[in-house]
Amino acid sequence: MSGQLTYSYHQEICGILQLSDEVLAYNILSRLTPRDVASIGSVCRRIRQLTKNEHVRKMVCQNAWGREVTGALELMTKKLGWGRLARELTTLEAVCWKKLTVGGAVEPSRCNFSACAVGNRLVLFGGEGVNMQPMNDTFVLNLDAANPEWQRVSVKSSPPGRWGHTLSCLNGSLLVVFGGCGKQGLLNDVFVLDLDAKQPTWREVSGGTPPLPRSWHSSCTIEGSKLVVSGGCTDAGVLLSDTYLLDLATDKPMWREIPTSWAPPSRLGHSLSVYGRTKILMFGGLAKSGNLRLRSGEAYTIDLEDEEPQWRQLECGAFTGVGSQSAVVPPPRLDHVAMTMPCGRIIIFGGSIAGLHSPSQLFLLDPSEEKPSWRILNVPGQPPKFAWGHSTCVVGGTRVLVLGGHTGEEWILNELHELCLASRQDSDP
Amino acid sequence: MSLSPSTSKMLSLKSSDGKVLEVEEHVAVLCETIKSLVEDGCADSPIPLANVDGATLGNVMEWCKKHADQKASADDLEDWDAEFVERDQGELYHLIMAANYLNIKGLLDLICQKVADMIKGKHPEKIREIFNIENDFTPEQQEQIRKDNSWAFE
Repeated sequence: MSGQLTYSYHQEICGILQLSDEVLAYNILSRLTPRDVASIGSVCRRIRQLTKNEHVRKMVCQNAWGREVTGALELMTKKLGWGRLARELTTLEAVCWKKLTVGGAVEPSRCNFSACAVGNRLVLFGGEGVNMQPMNDTFVLNLDAANPEWQRVSVKSSPPGRWGHTLSCLNGSLLVVFGGCGKQGLLNDVFVLDLDAKQPTWREVSGGTPPLPRSWHSSCTIEGSKLVVSGGCTDAGVLLSDTYLLDLATDKPMWREIPTSWAPPSRLGHSLSVYGRTKILMFGGLAKSGNLRLRSGEAYTIDLEDEEPQWRQLECGAFTGVGSQSAVVPPPRLDHVAMTMPCGRIIIFGGSIAGLHSPSQLFLLDPSEEKPSWRILNVPGQPPKFAWGHSTCVVGGTRVLVLGGHTGEEWILNELHELCLASRQDSDP
Repeated sequence: MSLSPSTSKMLSLKSSDGKVLEVEEHVAVLCETIKSLVEDGCADSPIPLANVDGATLGNVMEWCKKHADQKASADDLEDWDAEFVERDQGELYHLIMAANYLNIKGLLDLICQKVADMIKGKHPEKIREIFNIENDFTPEQQEQIRKDNSWAFE
């Protein structure tokens, strides 16, 4: 190479518009947030044109939401486009409830199962059958199918039957089961399933010294492969307040307790929501309060990337914007739904709430704000009458699928309610 | 590895305005463009850099020198970089063009982040003012843009 690239060199005062399209788009615009891109896209013709580039818009989403999250959104947004998606997920203008009916059956009927999404499939494992029979079967509902239906998966070597366990997704492709109540009492075992394997097999993971056996705990996964478990209830009926982590990406996964100098009061039926890659928001649950057990409406956070991670209570103010009425704070609850939006904001609804509060009322919180405050999110469409955390799946980052029918007593798994966070590629222009 | 000045080979770099700069090789090779010239054995004579003026080349090499220093800690570099980017817009754009041409990813990222930070959280009118950009939309376009983008700042 001669080293003699030529483009005109500007002796005069140098402005931002003298940068090449490539540098402006890929090195500067791509570092902005979706809002800032819309703002600078309104400044002049040339920059407007650059902000319309789909590749730049994707980079913007990646920077704002992280690669992992953006990867999960990729399939959902082929036609919608990244610009539109960024706008919809910022303004929440397209959020709505939809109802859908699916075929197949989950039999024998059951309650207290656990479900989660793997790609565009919903997976349901275990549960409590008639006469408190612990179940150990696995069902899949493929939402990509023309007529989705529940199908029982033939898996080799199922884990022991259980209910009150947790089922989480790893790296967007594997499932992991932890704990719950089995035939011989409470469990603390871990099983992993690769649904796409030729012969799907549940594989037990021995993880060194596991946490105490428990049920009604809460789980989440961070950074794709780290399973986090907190709280729950022991055999003796004691509530727990511990936090454990198991990195399933390592050769020999070992449980380790996360030592914190202070922990939220012990509880069960709470939710753990991951935001900002390694941060967790704990909300609600049935918590120990002196000699009593009360529904909690508190929020706590921890950042597992910190050298010495610490739980701390999140002081959530109530939103008092223009013309706002009274304070907005979600009523205390347990077994509710909590989901993290791609932008890191968290939505909660459903669960068991005292009194006349509606479980379908949606509450929104951005835990990374300096002074986080709850807002009510009003959503058109028909919401479910009941929504429980263990039977709600988040698909592709923008679809929240609530399993279960009307009564809340008997589970009708062919009726689903979907909370759509963004308009679907097939429905909107 | 820390080469002392006496043992490190020197390279001559010639700017667009004819200034020649003597730079230690281990500093200059932070520029990927120069590194490949060195590796190809084309770096004997003063290396002509037709797109970088003398003043900018001096600034670029100051950054490379700091970042080639094995003794500098990450915190140290961060503080130093924060000070390095405190300069007027014209210099920033010259640095961006030079870093792009010389292919120095670290420097390009640093300055572009600085410029991006100057844009963040601002309304279009404010951005025009800061960057001295003329509004060249027709009234019709202006109306369309308001419709498309007002969600972000109204």
